[in-house]
Amino acid sequence: MSLTGFVRFLRQSLQRLESDFIQAVGLDRSLGPALAVNGPSLLPQPNNSSEPSFLDSIFWMAVPKKRRTIEVNRCRRRNPNKMIKVKTNIEPCVQCGNLKLKHTLCGFCYEKIQKETSLIRRQIQNMEGRPLNTPAVETVVLYENETPGEADQGKRIVERSRKRPSWFNL
Amino acid sequence: MRLTLRALISHGRVARRMGLGPESRINMLRNILTGLVRHERIETTRVRADEVQFYAEKLIDYAKKGDTNEKSMKMADFWLTEKDLIPKLFKVLAPRFENQPSGYTRMARLPNRENLDRAAMAVIEYKGNPFPPLFPVKQDNELNLVNQLLKGYREEQAQLSATESKS
Repeated sequence: MSLTGFVRFLRQSLQRLESDFIQAVGLDRSLGPALAVNGPSLLPQPNNSSEPSFLDSIFWMAVPKKRRTIEVNRCRRRNPNKMIKVKTNIEPCVQCGNLKLKHTLCGFCYEKIQKETSLIRRQIQNMEGRPLNTPAVETVVLYENETPGEADQGKRIVERSRKRPSWFNL
Repeated sequence: MRLTLRALISHGRVARRMGLGPESRINMLRNILTGLVRHERIETTRVRADEVQFYAEKLIDYAKKGDTNEKSMKMADFWLTEKDLIPKLFKVLAPRFENQPSGYTRMARLPNRENLDRAAMAVIEYKGNPFPPLFPVKQDNELNLVNQLLKGYREEQAQLSATESKS
């Protein structure tokens, strides 16, 4: 009820604005020439009093005509293009048996490698002392009870105090 | 008749846009490349790893020309923001890849990051780094039934050939 009143108020205020604008610009012919002339020279008066029909209103926006039934809603919501797509590129990792994507590394195996790498890096950091102190030599990682071979001559040796892991053979 | 501007369509354009602009992109790649030369294996987003791969290999190509080459030294000076890596580049990485014509880096994809952004990650490394290998070499397990049977067969054959050669 208040909505229709509000809509009516808006419509009337807009029409009032329109007539004010017309008078200001001078297109208004209601205060016409002193000579009273009958006929079509006078433009028709703006109609303020009568109830405006809905077809004249400019507040005509797109709105649903009918309630969408649950059947129609179900058809739209369960359409295959809205469902989650099935992935066919999942396979088990050969080493650990966890699932992985075909073109990607196994997360579990990479975690192991990453942890070991970070421990090696911490050892390197301790050896270097201060930051920005990289030596210009190759590095080789040796585990417990391992001695440097002929290929490791002239390289910086990083010692890790544990047994060599089975997945770290070069 | 062409109805739209060529600037608004990007069909076939391969250059990637990263960061705030071309300069920002180069600065970002410079930081990643410095990290890669320092640590020899880094983990970043897939797109950044792909972009840096090209620059990493070009840097090695320049380094192979030797540190007396002025252009190489300028390139290394620009691309490596931490200056203690310039001797490492010329004395460690360049000799390591002397005999290889190309393909000094390896990029492998990782599962998406665990954060809310679920970013596609990748690990990029220089080949010949001291860390554990990303793709572990397949080692046949001797404790399989098939392998045990094959081992037994090989030993039998060896015994037969030994007795034959004796007699």
